[in-house]
Amino acid sequence: MSENRIQSYLHKLEFRLWLRGVADKETLAEIESHLLESLEANMRRGLSAEAAETQTLQSFGSVKVVVSTFETERKEVMQTILVGLAVLAGLFSAYVDSRPTWDDSGILAGGLLLVSGLLTLLGHRKPWLIALAVGIWIPLYNIYLSHDLRVLLVLLFPLVGAYGGWLVRLGIRRAVHPV
Amino acid sequence: MSGMTGEALKGHLDLLLLAILADGPAHGYAVIESLKQRSAGHFDLPEGTVYPALHRLESQGLLGSLWSEDSARRRRVYHLTPKGQQVLSSRQAEWKKFSKAINATIGV
Repeated sequence: MSENRIQSYLHKLEFRLWLRGVADKETLAEIESHLLESLEANMRRGLSAEAAETQTLQSFGSVKVVVSTFETERKEVMQTILVGLAVLAGLFSAYVDSRPTWDDSGILAGGLLLVSGLLTLLGHRKPWLIALAVGIWIPLYNIYLSHDLRVLLVLLFPLVGAYGGWLVRLGIRRAVHPV
Repeated sequence: MSGMTGEALKGHLDLLLLAILADGPAHGYAVIESLKQRSAGHFDLPEGTVYPALHRLESQGLLGSLWSEDSARRRRVYHLTPKGQQVLSSRQAEWKKFSKAINATIGV
């Protein structure tokens, strides 16, 4: 019974860490060892198995808090570089779109989709951020010119691309390191 | 819980962890217990938030770690590296200056 709640916590933690791309076997083994040691210590203090388990999990922190701390601590330079590339690609696409001689929205939409997909496939953990960084510049420029908010629909292309790339990366990771 | 919150501790956690490990190698659970005991329960942050900090200090070369099979359970034991020792000394000196200035200012 005690093992079950702890195991359930570990499974949730593993899945959330894996989803954010910050899970590794050693970390999870370390956390499991900590939880079991804490559980034993709480039982030695005279708590019932159920109370010891509750105390152990409360002291360790919620899955959300722990995952968020891991994510913050592992802010890698690569994540910043990928956002930088997304901004550059987005600004370039807005420049191309603003040229009076440019008349191929299809190519531009495909470009936004592909670039966003590539950047999340390469490892960025926040598809929405990549989609915004790539796709916001064309709508901003056009809203400035025409005050027509419908142009925000352009964001759909980088959103589809970014989440597509992210899902493909999750699929690849799942094949290599199953949860 | 009347302990200091995670937010208030955030800027000082590295120094605290390095100082605890300066006394000798320890695994994560022991480090966290020591943190609670030395602070008389004031530094009582979610235990799971200490591991990311330990891992970061390790990736910065301030800590090293080895898996120990000595006990019934596998444990990852952390130790201070020479670089970690240098950083600890420098942060301790900074903290002395800082706390002296704060104390002088608030009249403690």
